[in-house]
Amino acid sequence: MRKYVLKRVLTAVFTLLVILLVLFILMQLMPGSPFNDEKLTDDQLQLLYEKYGLDKPIIVQFFNYVKNMFTGDFGVSYKISKNTPIAQLIASRLPISIGIGFMAVFIGALIGLILGIVAAIWHDTILDTIATIISVIGVSVPSYVFALALSFEFGFTLGWFPMLYSNSAQLSSSILPSVSLSMFTMASIARFTRSEMMEVMDSEYMLLAESKGLSGRALILRHALRNALIPIVTVLAPLIVDLMTGSLVVEKIFSIPGVGSLLVNAIQSNDYNVVISLSFIYSAMYIVIMLVVDILYGIIDPRIRLAKEDG
Amino acid sequence: MADIANENKYPDDGYSQDLFVLKEDAADITIDENFASQSFWKEVRAQFLKKKSAVFGLIAIIIITLLAIFGPGMNSYSYSDQDLSQKNLAPRVAWLEGLGIFDGSETISTTSGSKTTNGYEDSGLSDVYYWFGSDTFGRDIWTRTWSGARVSLIIAVAAALIDMIIGMSYGLISGFFGGKVDMVMQRILEVSNGIPRLVIVTLLLLVLSPGILTIVFALMLTEWIGMSRIARAEMLKLKEREFVLASRTLGAGSFFIIFKEVLPNIIGPIITQVMFSIPTAIFTEAFLSFVGLGIPVPQCSLGSLISEGFNSFTTHPYQIVPPIIVMALLMLSFNLVADGLREALDPKFKEM
Repeated sequence: MRKYVLKRVLTAVFTLLVILLVLFILMQLMPGSPFNDEKLTDDQLQLLYEKYGLDKPIIVQFFNYVKNMFTGDFGVSYKISKNTPIAQLIASRLPISIGIGFMAVFIGALIGLILGIVAAIWHDTILDTIATIISVIGVSVPSYVFALALSFEFGFTLGWFPMLYSNSAQLSSSILPSVSLSMFTMASIARFTRSEMMEVMDSEYMLLAESKGLSGRALILRHALRNALIPIVTVLAPLIVDLMTGSLVVEKIFSIPGVGSLLVNAIQSNDYNVVISLSFIYSAMYIVIMLVVDILYGIIDPRIRLAKEDG
Repeated sequence: MADIANENKYPDDGYSQDLFVLKEDAADITIDENFASQSFWKEVRAQFLKKKSAVFGLIAIIIITLLAIFGPGMNSYSYSDQDLSQKNLAPRVAWLEGLGIFDGSETISTTSGSKTTNGYEDSGLSDVYYWFGSDTFGRDIWTRTWSGARVSLIIAVAAALIDMIIGMSYGLISGFFGGKVDMVMQRILEVSNGIPRLVIVTLLLLVLSPGILTIVFALMLTEWIGMSRIARAEMLKLKEREFVLASRTLGAGSFFIIFKEVLPNIIGPIITQVMFSIPTAIFTEAFLSFVGLGIPVPQCSLGSLISEGFNSFTTHPYQIVPPIIVMALLMLSFNLVADGLREALDPKFKEM
């Protein structure tokens, strides 16, 4: 187990360093210098370079950069809001995005599990067909189409929920975005739960449990679902990551002041510093989530750990 | 040395070394003498056609493809023709307007209530027909929807095929050679899989100018990983089989075995994966266009049409409906076909 965790952590750290290297190279390639004031003399420029460590060898600069990124010193924004530290921009927006993302995962996982279980228990009935149709549509239709449809129907026509995000009514205005974001998670989990449950219910230990006289809820919840849940943990990780992509568009549609809409703005106004800092944050979050899930999975299911140690 | 040793091993069999010739990479060693493979594909086709949803998906894909090819030429408008005097007209179709539908009238709801207007009557355009209506610049939405579908399909299919070639070769080579080669190639894969797709695509589009080629390139860099995993797993399964051993005994080289012997046997899972990667590509393109990194104007794709329609979707909802329906239908159909193929190719597979 220790060897497995160590290997995973090393891979994760190495990946993050590769990403930082790419970002650093991109920063070097971007046109313009930070001090493009024509009044500066050569001596003054030299002083400025020394002050910011830009006269050092490129490798030292890279490690300074890595240190700055990890300590949250991302530099300042040039275009979106002039000379505001990026860390400050992000700090006010990240909680909103995470809140909506968390709500989306929760709704998606819960409804997905219920749909999957229903479809597996009553398989080949009308309930199964309905669950299948819902999950096929959920997988095929992009989240922002749901976002548009929901905001038109429930926000505009019926007026049940606010069409745009507002700080004064955070809960009610995050329901539509979370639901539209959760559709893909919900559909994938429903599909996965169904096939896992079907497999588990065919297994011999289920037959044993049934022949011991267990029935109904105890059988499904204690025996079938617990074993079916193990592989579902793995699909949850990539799904959470997919939420990040989805959130960009959904945040734009509902004008949510989160990191997704910040990234979109930064891309559209060519604010390189912000794009690169957000890329780093997204990558770091992604890598940490993947790492945690992989290690969790190794703890839950020893077979995976052993197979990976061999390979 | 080895040849002499072999000659002396069986002194009485009457055969000598020069009676045998290594066939090496000759094409005829791959010829399948029994016709089992033929009936396999027949079975797959029957299985596939039995599944109604898959057949529905296939038909929908064919219809949308045909419309994407011929649709823009079916009326006299072009995708970039602007006529500002004919902007924001609702859909109007010649034979249907007598029935009271698609007659060019729309209901506009404002804060003071809703009213029904007919832009065609108001501007005296009695013989002008926009089948899907016209947009805020007076462009025909029918023509734009189908040329958008064309661009989206071209991007998706091109990206999926390039991913197939790259991912397949990577996975096959990694699986076939095993050992150190596999170790290094898998570590590279793990690291590149650790970088979020979103980040790769955004950074790439910062550096390159937006356009079809850039989007295909971005998709190429991100989507090959899944394909290579499948190819590698299949290769690990097949490389111990007798037909590979036989080919090797006849002197075939590694690349001949990989691409001529193993590849034809794993074509099923690969096609399935390609079908699954097409909707992902369509979605990614639409997403990029929505964020403003897509196809440059006046060209359009489904994503850029949705993004344009979004600006006026509460006042003129008909402008956003056609591209959304076409895109949702395309993604749904490719998913259904891929599901059907997967089940037909692997009868053991249990999925909904």
